[in-house]
Amino acid sequence: MEENKIYEKEHTINENYRQKPKVAVYVCHCGGNISDVVDVKKVAEELSKYHDVAISREYAFMCSSTGQDYIVEDIQKNGINRVVIAACSPALHELTFRGALQRAGLNPYLYEHVNIREQVSWVHKNDKEGATKKAISLVKAGVEKVLRQDPLNSIRVEAVKTVAVIGGGVSGMRAALSVAKNGLNAVIIEKSDKLGGKLNRSGNVYPTGEKAISVAENLSKEVLSSDKIKVYFNSEITFVSGYVGNFQINVKRKNGEYEKIKAGAIIIATGFDNYKPYEGEYGYGLNKFVLTLPEFIEALEKSGPGKFNYNGKDINSVSFIHCVGSRQIDGIDKPGKNGKINEYCSRVCCTSLINTANNLKTKYPDVEVFDIYTDIRTYGMDHESYYKEASKNDVIFFRRPLEERPSVEFDGAKIKIKTKDVLTMNEDMEIETDMVVLGVGMVPNDITDLVEYMKLPKSSDGFLQEVHPKLRPVEVANNGIFIAGTAQGPMDILESLQASNTAAVKAAALLASGDIPLDPFVAVVDEDKCTGCEKCPKECSYSGALTMIEKEVNGKKKKVAYVNAALCKGCGACAAVCEPRAINVAGWSLDQFDAMVEAIAKE
Amino acid sequence: MKVNTKFIKEVKKYGAFDISACFNCGNCTAVCPLSKEDSSFPRKMIRYAQVGAEDKIESSLEPWMCYYCGECSDTCPRQAYPGEFMMSLRRYLISRYDATGLSKFFYMNSWAQNILVIGIFLVSLIFFISYNGDFQELAAKIELAFPAYVTLAIFMYVFTMYKKTILDKSKKFLFSFDFSNIKETLIHGLTQKNFSGCSETDWTRWIAHLLVMSGYTLTLIISNLHLLEPLKKHYGLLDITTPLVFYAAFGIIAGGFVMMGRRFLKKIQSSKFSHPTDWLFVAMLFLIGISTLTTYILNMAMGPDAEAVAISYKINIAIEVAWIIIIVPFTKWIHIFFRPMAIYLYNLKKEKQLA
Repeated sequence: MEENKIYEKEHTINENYRQKPKVAVYVCHCGGNISDVVDVKKVAEELSKYHDVAISREYAFMCSSTGQDYIVEDIQKNGINRVVIAACSPALHELTFRGALQRAGLNPYLYEHVNIREQVSWVHKNDKEGATKKAISLVKAGVEKVLRQDPLNSIRVEAVKTVAVIGGGVSGMRAALSVAKNGLNAVIIEKSDKLGGKLNRSGNVYPTGEKAISVAENLSKEVLSSDKIKVYFNSEITFVSGYVGNFQINVKRKNGEYEKIKAGAIIIATGFDNYKPYEGEYGYGLNKFVLTLPEFIEALEKSGPGKFNYNGKDINSVSFIHCVGSRQIDGIDKPGKNGKINEYCSRVCCTSLINTANNLKTKYPDVEVFDIYTDIRTYGMDHESYYKEASKNDVIFFRRPLEERPSVEFDGAKIKIKTKDVLTMNEDMEIETDMVVLGVGMVPNDITDLVEYMKLPKSSDGFLQEVHPKLRPVEVANNGIFIAGTAQGPMDILESLQASNTAAVKAAALLASGDIPLDPFVAVVDEDKCTGCEKCPKECSYSGALTMIEKEVNGKKKKVAYVNAALCKGCGACAAVCEPRAINVAGWSLDQFDAMVEAIAKE
Repeated sequence: MKVNTKFIKEVKKYGAFDISACFNCGNCTAVCPLSKEDSSFPRKMIRYAQVGAEDKIESSLEPWMCYYCGECSDTCPRQAYPGEFMMSLRRYLISRYDATGLSKFFYMNSWAQNILVIGIFLVSLIFFISYNGDFQELAAKIELAFPAYVTLAIFMYVFTMYKKTILDKSKKFLFSFDFSNIKETLIHGLTQKNFSGCSETDWTRWIAHLLVMSGYTLTLIISNLHLLEPLKKHYGLLDITTPLVFYAAFGIIAGGFVMMGRRFLKKIQSSKFSHPTDWLFVAMLFLIGISTLTTYILNMAMGPDAEAVAISYKINIAIEVAWIIIIVPFTKWIHIFFRPMAIYLYNLKKEKQLA
């Protein structure tokens, strides 16, 4: 495989780390968070006596600008070349202090962060003496570690300035257009022969009332006329390899030809599937007048003026049932083929059902409409007006108790729905109706292959899972892969578009500078020590990160382990099996751990 | 319970035009100062109407417990006007309890009622003017026929109401002879006490109602007992009939004036929506008050033999004929009987533990 260049960005300005180590230790009070429990003065004093420690201080807030100034000053004026800070969790301020080191001209990785807040003061409130002792030994271990620390440089990967979008529905099209607007190229990989996806069969859409198909056509026109977007129709993905900045997607075209698409980032916009009721679920499949919502929308679109005639029968009343295949309850609802029930709310069905009921009433005002729900969740901006309109349209609502399910019974040509109704003081109601429409929810599309190729994380609901719903809402744990729209979970069109734009902007920002920075904490091989035993690649979980190569070392050709820094996650599984300690994670070597353990065990 | 969508359409014909907007939140019942746990409204009634529980509605006493404070309509988040719905339900029930079907016809065709009222008035008047015999004697006979007619009409309503609310459930005749129940029923009937049940008593409305009611009841007594003989006697200030007639006329005119004014201004929930029958009702009351008073004053001033007294008296009796025949049994007036009746039946139900 052709590879993009991986190079290191030089951080080191000051070369003094080569000189005799001079460690500075800073003990932070965290405004009492630490100092109320840990005797910080004692910690600083103890550490000042420790070997190679030149300066040991304590201060109220090391993260404040004054605190950071101490570090900079000590490095620049007092010849400090390694730093240990005992403070809060590194998740909070590790980057802050690395920045201070860098400003002072020291390699930012010649620094060790010791957590004496979460791991000491907060958990040992009742044992101040013990806490102080523990803090001292942890900081000593930190000193031992930093003494063995090498200056590291962050890795940068050259990136292909193209974003591959998988799926040409509304989310995929929007994402591709946004990518193009940001100056990058986009490639849409679509399995069918048409753009638009589910939009091509969605009737009219809320909140604008436009025909879904015309929305699809407008977007599609825009996509096809863009010189920055290329669309692969009738294409099936057979494999995905590579890493952030340098993905390769193997595609099989309809004509049997294979093609390789290169991309720096991938946006997954594979969408959703409609829940398919099992035979007999609310009478589905047993009677041709029990339809799913998408089927009904299609029937309503096709029906002519005058009377509402479906399948040769004049329809005078239609009953909508909410939450079919959504918000299922263990023990009450039948699990699907995967043995699971869908506990989630599909979010769009309430508004969609009610919008459809209103459309039905507009087209055929004389048709009676019944609506059986457990909660109406018309949650979006102005969606409530649909619900209000439905009321004014004489739609009669019935609220079933959460754990009750309405039954649909057939009595000759008649359809009877029986349900308990909370609104009518929990009485048992019997509704005679000509047609039943099931508000089917959203289920994940079957993208097993893609999940397999890219090792994508899935939530318990089966949809793709983001890193954090608020902090990183469209990113998956795999670098360079983003999700747009309903592949991630139920969303309406508006929300899908917002997610698509976010994913596109994220992808564009990632690729904009042409190279991508990565953490330097990856495995490094000491080729002299490596025996070529091939134990380590078997332990590696990231395909392509660790391989064996033939190489000339010290004039001799030998087999050695080779790390692809862009794919390695620094987990250390390889280091654990390497007997000669030839492979180590940069910044976390086994020698460092040995020294730390020794420092702690000495006490 | 079978869902019947036709029912609400029927009720809507009586004025509840916006009730479909109701989403059953129950705010109306929560704010209603008159709703009780065992007599809960308006939400329950609205829901029964929405799903078409006709039997439940017709056997309910709740519509009569409502005095249209209007707090429910003020509070309704959907502007469904539950107060006006309860009013419409009363109109609906009146027409359901009326075996003749005329109430319904009049509610649906107010023009027919107007024409009929005017027609009966004109026919009577022409007949009275052309009558050659002793008109005072004839008037006495007509007035004595009124109580019989009204009693018959009321009995029909009372029986149907009793049948729907009690008999159909108990399958046997039940009565309450409990003194406190009878007392409560009478107090409610005479004072319309529940007007003070609204969180803010609408004194104007209550007093206007009391004035009209007492004035009108007095007029009934005066005419039904045939206390007035303006073509035979010459009344003076000291006659016992003078304060009675003046009070009755004043009550009707003043009360009627306030009621009409409020229906024009539409500031209060209870006077926002006026059914055509409401207007006819107030207008006729007004005319009765004015014509009685005019006849009496003319008699005091000119004596029983004056031509003006005779004409005024004939107009007065002709109005009363139209009123008694058309308006009393078939429209709003019947309220004053249903309200105390409902109290009596409510207590009876409680006493006999009838669910």
